[in-house]
Amino acid sequence: MRESLARSLIKGDKEAYMKLLLLACASLSILGILLIFLFITRESIPAFVHIGFKNMFLSAHWSPITGHFGMVGFIVGTLFTTVIAIVISAPLGIGTALYIDQIAPEWLRTPVRRGVELLAGIPSIVIGWFGLITLVPIVARITNTSGYGILTASLVLVVMALPTITTLSAETLKSIPQELKEGSAAMGATRWQTMYRVMLPAAREGLMVATILGMGRAIGETMAVQMVIGGARQLTVNPFQPTSTLTTRILTEMGEATGDWRSALFAMALVLLLLSMILIISIRLVSRQRRVAA
Amino acid sequence: MSARKADRIATFVFTLLGFISIGILLFIILEVLGRGLLTAINPKFFLGKPEAMNPGGGILPMIVSSLYLAVLTLIVALPISVGAAIYMAEFARKGRLVSSIRFSLDSLATLPSIVFGLFGMTLFVVYFRWGMALMAGAFTLALLNLPILLRSTEEAIKLVPQTYREASMSLGASRWTTIRQIVIPSAMPGIITATILPIGRIMGESAAIVLTVGTFIRNIPVNPFSMGAPLAGYIWFAQSEGLTPDYRKIVNGGAAFLLLLVLVVYFLARYAGRKYQEKKLMGARDGK
Repeated sequence: MRESLARSLIKGDKEAYMKLLLLACASLSILGILLIFLFITRESIPAFVHIGFKNMFLSAHWSPITGHFGMVGFIVGTLFTTVIAIVISAPLGIGTALYIDQIAPEWLRTPVRRGVELLAGIPSIVIGWFGLITLVPIVARITNTSGYGILTASLVLVVMALPTITTLSAETLKSIPQELKEGSAAMGATRWQTMYRVMLPAAREGLMVATILGMGRAIGETMAVQMVIGGARQLTVNPFQPTSTLTTRILTEMGEATGDWRSALFAMALVLLLLSMILIISIRLVSRQRRVAA
Repeated sequence: MSARKADRIATFVFTLLGFISIGILLFIILEVLGRGLLTAINPKFFLGKPEAMNPGGGILPMIVSSLYLAVLTLIVALPISVGAAIYMAEFARKGRLVSSIRFSLDSLATLPSIVFGLFGMTLFVVYFRWGMALMAGAFTLALLNLPILLRSTEEAIKLVPQTYREASMSLGASRWTTIRQIVIPSAMPGIITATILPIGRIMGESAAIVLTVGTFIRNIPVNPFSMGAPLAGYIWFAQSEGLTPDYRKIVNGGAAFLLLLVLVVYFLARYAGRKYQEKKLMGARDGK
């Protein structure tokens, strides 16, 4: 009798121990994100101390040899390429999702959806190479410039953001209750009226989340952009001019950078971290709004 | 404009958008394969040693690095992600801890891979003094892929019918025994599918790799703590440095080979997923 009690205790202990171990695994994600924050911040502190906030974030003069580390040009480059890319890929992605959900014939739906999934799996280096050998010459011929620059980078980013936006939008549209779609059709609405008046409003938050996550992909993309943006260290809003983004500058200069220069690159990574956090928090706000509305 | 006319225009526009999206995919695949397939499938290329300065180099050590890195990453990531997924699917209760775990996972999923690269470089390469090494890349990519691995594993576990658990526990099995003997084996095919897909992502990853693993090696890497040169990173290196006279050919061939690798992994994962579903359907019919 006593023995079995002891045994169940040991057994109980083992259960508790296993649960703790599993919890530890799950908590590693918290540890991971904290460590990332910690190390990126730690490495960028010298830049804030020696170069100063003003010289980094209110200047577009980037010249490591003369000790100038103004990164406004690259922040603008990141935001500008992202905005152009999203302006193109959001309608394209949401439109493709509507096509998959509403218009495509039954036998074509799965292939189109799988195709978009596959596009997400193509390595960014391959898409960058495609951009370099195919898009750059095309843009160069049409615009009579070098072909490298913000526009070409944005086109490459369209390819990167498109699968994210399409897949998530298609999921959202699919989750709209069938009765809602059928109800609208039963009232005599055409397919377009159903899509425009019923589905898009019902899916608004989901489509916004899809677009925001697409922006996340565009902001973070490095290789593909680096190959086509031209790598110039200048502030420009001319879409046909070469420039850099935060990610491409980090990639190109990390190998040779030392001291404050290296630290300034980490400060750029910190900006990227903050941009990602803004996106995540805005997603939470969008989803919360939905819950309140419902 | 009549409602019917508007409807016809909309149908046309959305069909066009759908076709554009698929057109982009086909355009990329055909362009890349068209330029590089002949080089890629030449044994002298994919079984050859790379050259630093001379023409005629191959990519065998790079292919091995990519595969090696994928294996190492999964060895590091799987125990953690499966453990975490079991916790999230079987034990997690709504609360502050679980919502911070979810928030961390969302954050990890959105962070740019170059930020992971910088983190891996500071922690594993510099702070732990591993130097540029396959293992440093494996730990970095394990963290990078944790959210996607965890989510799909968790879904696979949640798909196991609740009745399985109840039946097991009504026979006197403990919670842990039920998970180990019933839930995990039932979810295994789903977990395997969930594991194959990230392999393509790992092999395609480049920004985090060039900062943690390396971009050029001449010999096949054996020691996991030695430098590697995964194909994706090497393509970038060959392209941006342009040290060999035939670098365009190498990049074309390398890109085509990488694309083929990723396609194979993708269809393998799909195939495994379909097999799993068929089995499940049959199981349902037999009343299993």
